[in-house]
Amino acid sequence: MKKLIGFIFTVTLLFAIKVEAMDALKAENFVKKVTTDGIEQIINSDVSMAEKDARFTKLFNEYLDLDYIGKFVLGRYWKTATDKQKKDFIQVYREFNTKTWSKRFDEFKGKSFEFNGTSPSSSEGQIFVNTSVKMNEGSPAKVLWRVKDGQPLKIVDIVIENVSLAITARNEYTAYIKKAPGGLDDLIEDLREKAK
Amino acid sequence: MKKTLLMFMFLLSACATNPNGTKMKVSDEETKLEVYNRAMFNFNYQFDKMVLKPVAKGYKVITTQSIRNRVTNFFNNLEEPAYAINNLLQGQLKDSGTSVVRFAVNSTLGLLGTFDVAEGWGINKKKNSFDATMAMYCTPDGPYIVMPILGPSTPRYLVGWGVDALSDPMYWALWDKQDEDWGVALSYGATALKYINKRAENMALLDSMEEGSVDYYATIKTAFMQNRQKFQSLCAKQNAEGQVAASYDFDFEDEED
Repeated sequence: MKKLIGFIFTVTLLFAIKVEAMDALKAENFVKKVTTDGIEQIINSDVSMAEKDARFTKLFNEYLDLDYIGKFVLGRYWKTATDKQKKDFIQVYREFNTKTWSKRFDEFKGKSFEFNGTSPSSSEGQIFVNTSVKMNEGSPAKVLWRVKDGQPLKIVDIVIENVSLAITARNEYTAYIKKAPGGLDDLIEDLREKAK
Repeated sequence: MKKTLLMFMFLLSACATNPNGTKMKVSDEETKLEVYNRAMFNFNYQFDKMVLKPVAKGYKVITTQSIRNRVTNFFNNLEEPAYAINNLLQGQLKDSGTSVVRFAVNSTLGLLGTFDVAEGWGINKKKNSFDATMAMYCTPDGPYIVMPILGPSTPRYLVGWGVDALSDPMYWALWDKQDEDWGVALSYGATALKYINKRAENMALLDSMEEGSVDYYATIKTAFMQNRQKFQSLCAKQNAEGQVAASYDFDFEDEED
């Protein structure tokens, strides 16, 4: 009897590990698709910056869950925001991110992402895909992609050298809203101005 | 001492308004430290804008990437003794040995460290700091403090920086030359070059960070503090108590900021 329980336990464990490994592989392949077919191809192609921006917009809308991130970055101000504010913020946050990231990724021109496996997240159904980019000087830049399970998979955070895009935006935006006389409306206006 | 205090008070009064000229809305939660930090940040920002950044831009014009790499390597090599000591203090004997070898090879064959010959041989840098050593012994980090000119820091970061500076070979080389004019000039000149070079090499990164933010102070603060979170996992006592989650891992459902 003891043996049987042990056997069932081992099989279950193996099965659990296998499921986990499959998810990790799925997430890694997903990020590979985003970086290789997406980012690398866009930044290395010989087109105008405007065309690059347009392609990035498409890529970001397809693979990044900006609704999910947008809600998080407003922190407790999301709850008190009106429906119109929420809608406006998400829209402008989307435009602003596309613009800043297409520029930031341009610095990775001619370089490629190396994949170094995955690491677990404390959030259910989420996983970190670890990549690094070899820079001209110094040690390679560590870039982590936080992937959320679902149909389809989505990226919910990008962590460059331990600095998370989502946490940085949240700390910045909540500090801004606290300080600005017009609160969230000022932030939306400011982001809209910067996204132009 | 009195002079320094007066200068601080002047700086504080001069910077009580933000760059747009409007008075800051200070809520109750915003601590006095935060007010000081923002004021000092504004001062540093202006200093950077008026002095450091233009100088770094000029420096970029008159130097090539190759020259800047030599300068970066030279100053990085001077940090190897600090890596060796801290690797040793943290029980990383092999890494400590690596740092010693790297310093010996690069200081000689690498022409005073300007070329990283050791890396070419596959002997890679094992960066470490007294800051990390203190973190390993679970020394608390303390609050975020913006220092004049030096910029973002915390008490532990500052102590670590000061202790590591003591193992800088340049400091010892010029130790008994402080009475000579050339000794003083060389010491200040080297420090200036180090920071100008650093500023030039970070030009694109800092520009893109500023461009991508609506509150630059908050962005720099959070980026600096997030980067320091990596030290948290070094604390052995905490590790023994339970698994420390990765610093960049957080709960998306969390509503507090």
